[in-house]
Amino acid sequence: MSGIPLDKVDLEARKRAAKILHEKFRKILEDILSGKAPKLEIPKRTLANTIFDKERGILVLGEQKLEREFLDMGEARRFMQTLLMASIIYQALIENEYPTIRDLYYRGKHTIIYKDPSGRTRQENTWDEQAESDSVIRDIEVFTGLLREDMLILSKEKGKVVGNLKIRSGGDVIDLSKMGHGAYSIESTPDLIDFIDWDAEFVLVVEKDAVFQQLHRVGFWRKYKAILITGAGQPDRATRRFVRRLNEELKLPVYILTDSDPYGFYIYSVYKVGSIQLSYESERLATPSAKFLGVSMTDIFGWGRKKPYLTETERRNYIIKATDADIKRAKELMKYSWFRSPGWQRELKIFLEKKAKLEIEALASKGLKFLAFKYIPEKIETGDWIE
Amino acid sequence: MDKVPATKSAKQTSSKEKSNKEKFREISVAEFFAKNKELAGFANPTRALYQTVRELVENSLDATDTHLILPEIVIRIVNRPELSGSNGSEQRFTVIVEDNGIGVPPTVMANAFGRVLFSSKYVIRQTRGMYGLGVKAAVLYGQATAGQPLKVVSATKGSSYSYMKELFIDMKKNEPRIVSEGQWRRRGSWHGTRVAITLMGDWRRAKNRILEYIKRTAIIAPYAEIIFETPDGEIYYFPRLTRKLPRPPREAKPHPHGIDLEHFKIIIKESKAKTLLELLVQEFQSVGEKTARAFLKKIGVNPNLNPKKLLRKENEELLRSIVDEMKKFEGFKPPRSDYLSPLGEDLIKLGLKRLFEPEWVEAVTRPPRAFEGNPFIVEIGMAYGGKIPPMNEPLLLRYANKIPLLYEEKEDISWKVLSSINWKLYLINFPAPLVVLVHIASTKVPYKGVGKESISEIPELEQEIKNGIQEVARRLRAYISRKMKEAETLRRITTLAKYIPEIARSLAILSKPPEKWSLPSPDEEKLIMDKMAELIATRVPTARGSDGKTQTIKAIRSIVESARTE
Ligand SMILES: Nc1ncnc2c1ncn2[C@@H]1O[C@H](COP(=O)(O)OP(=O)(O)OP(=O)(O)O)[C@@H](O)[C@H]1O
Ligand SMILES: [Mg+2]
Repeated sequence: MSGIPLDKVDLEARKRAAKILHEKFRKILEDILSGKAPKLEIPKRTLANTIFDKERGILVLGEQKLEREFLDMGEARRFMQTLLMASIIYQALIENEYPTIRDLYYRGKHTIIYKDPSGRTRQENTWDEQAESDSVIRDIEVFTGLLREDMLILSKEKGKVVGNLKIRSGGDVIDLSKMGHGAYSIESTPDLIDFIDWDAEFVLVVEKDAVFQQLHRVGFWRKYKAILITGAGQPDRATRRFVRRLNEELKLPVYILTDSDPYGFYIYSVYKVGSIQLSYESERLATPSAKFLGVSMTDIFGWGRKKPYLTETERRNYIIKATDADIKRAKELMKYSWFRSPGWQRELKIFLEKKAKLEIEALASKGLKFLAFKYIPEKIETGDWIE
Repeated sequence: MDKVPATKSAKQTSSKEKSNKEKFREISVAEFFAKNKELAGFANPTRALYQTVRELVENSLDATDTHLILPEIVIRIVNRPELSGSNGSEQRFTVIVEDNGIGVPPTVMANAFGRVLFSSKYVIRQTRGMYGLGVKAAVLYGQATAGQPLKVVSATKGSSYSYMKELFIDMKKNEPRIVSEGQWRRRGSWHGTRVAITLMGDWRRAKNRILEYIKRTAIIAPYAEIIFETPDGEIYYFPRLTRKLPRPPREAKPHPHGIDLEHFKIIIKESKAKTLLELLVQEFQSVGEKTARAFLKKIGVNPNLNPKKLLRKENEELLRSIVDEMKKFEGFKPPRSDYLSPLGEDLIKLGLKRLFEPEWVEAVTRPPRAFEGNPFIVEIGMAYGGKIPPMNEPLLLRYANKIPLLYEEKEDISWKVLSSINWKLYLINFPAPLVVLVHIASTKVPYKGVGKESISEIPELEQEIKNGIQEVARRLRAYISRKMKEAETLRRITTLAKYIPEIARSLAILSKPPEKWSLPSPDEEKLIMDKMAELIATRVPTARGSDGKTQTIKAIRSIVESARTE
């Protein structure tokens, strides 16, 4: 890769990340050389150390830290793994590479073969599963304060976007309104994107890829000047960062459309406040002002003077019975502080009462035009959303 | 014999009478043991074969090590198909044991091998034999089951002839019946005895016990050379491991605490002492003139009394009270133990090492003690780990006067003591590879039977065995705890050290500044590795003392050097 000229944005990002890694880990070496027991102080990534920052409306890491000491028998392996991973990332930054997390897993995975004091040959893998190396990457992120995007680590691209928006990426200018039936894949390093020109009034994020395609083909975004995005299920970091940048830099309101079930509700909250597992990155990934457009329980069943969007017969045809897992999840959500608003408590209560859920596809089945040209615009217009 | 009644009616009544009338007769001691074979250990063909080997081997060892001769013993068991039953079930064997001992003088030869309760060991001395029965019990069994005479060839140390005798035992009279004899000029300087006894035996069943017996004999007598040839033609050879013999036992006079009325009378009869004071000093051990005077003064008996007078009828009361007082008097020194022949710690360890190849072995010879006027010494050996397989309980090796005891284990005093030990206190959790050897040396071993298989529960003995086992077990605990600590240290070191190369390489890379990037050199990595090794050695606590750190660094280095990645 090193022969190919890289753009300036990319090179700057590399320099910055490499410098931080070098500074942070040089201290460990200094400790060793001066006879001090080396240790890494890493903020804890646990639910107990995850705090909902009400003011900013996002999940953040608390103050708790764990000390990963080399001389601690229980930590030595993880200590080794952390240094190994850091050195691989560091070298990749310097050599202008773009490893994926899978690449990092393979580059670092080898077998240590040694003889124990009784002379028996033993062996041990630096790590076995990718889950192990992924978790080490997360440790390095919180230890250095650098997100993987900052370290030019790529992940699988899941997110897609279309709309009246021109961007520059890797030196090319791309017009996201000219993608045909396809869409632009949101790249792993969304911070390296420049927004050049746009003509849009809001961002609509849909949970499901199929619904995204349907709305795209029916010309939804053109008609309503929207930027249409999908994270295809649980959104990856790049999609979340991209949404956040649209909201923050282009000042566009963000609406989110998911299935009407606890899983869909949680996906919304990931866009909005962050995820428990990755709360350390919420500061840059979360979009606290994102609004849950639907499908809400009140859309299905109505509430007070609000009329339901579905008729009695439609309900009978489209509604699915909630599973035990759904119910358990809903009860958990009720306890999370970021689901405490009256709107959400009402949603969850209705869900628990009716034990019923609905997929967005059901609305499309009722009629794609109904979904695209009635349901969505009407809800936006009347402010019928939950925050 | 009863008279046969003449008339029919009389016959009928007499058969009734017969069942009511006891018939008395006397049998000889030979006949007694011929009829009660199991008492001497000859219960069945399996035990008989085993017991025959034992009796002969023990006599051979008594004829050698007791007399400071390094034993050379050849044991052969020969199959005798020509004497065996046609179906092959009742097999006959000839057991031949040859030694390089002191030999049997020709004058006593016939009685030694052909008269029950004839022995040279009826003295107060620590020997394997003590009853005067062993070899004769084998002969009795042999002649009853195979109809063959015993054959013995022997030459004493000084004599210029070797003598041979073939004999049966006349059961009724308890005396040898010689069937052939001979003598010839001694070849070379050979002295010793060769005994052959033919009997019915079950080799297949007895084989393991006999082998075990010989192995255990080799453990306790590593100064002996033993060759064993089986009926299957296998040869087992136990070479001599040392020329060091245990100090030989010596004959002692009786101790006053061990005396009884009859014994005292015999002593008085046989003694040439003119006064009671003289008698006490001359005929007893541990009694000096001062002690004797003090004793007589205490019981108010005239020291100048002629001892023979005590045998008179009118003095019976006095005699009894003297014996009673003697047994109680605290002023006598304990029985002398320096005449005993313990094995010593070195020999025990040597024997255990050879047979078990353990990682740890220890032994202790306890200070002498006494019961009923008999001195005894308990010796304990212990072997742990190495080639010993883990077992659910300790393997107990019992010995008395250097004889291995194999049968009746659960009835034995040592077993009783051993099962009362709480091994957890000594950091041993079963299954564990542990062997415990108990040796009791005494001028009188309190066997439960003349088969010499188990020892009675004498409290003094029990206490000593317990003390001995605990003493050695404490050393074992120290060893195990040190080993556990070392293993823990090594485990910790290994846990850390194996990661050193990986960490050193990573840190070397990370420490190169991005602006002036180059791959780190092996020297840079080496420096970090050395520093880390040092760090581990300083921070991980070691079980060893001051040399701990250097040892640890060495261990770390060797792990680091052995490490490679693939
Ligand atoms: N191999 C031998 N060498 C020298 N003397 C022997 C040998 N075998 C037997 N004798 C003599 O024969 C005697 C009788 O032996 P035997 O085995 O019958 O009795 P023991 O050994 O005295 O006592 P125990 O019945 O306890 O064995 C012994 O006391 C010993 O003097
Ligand atoms: Mg004998």
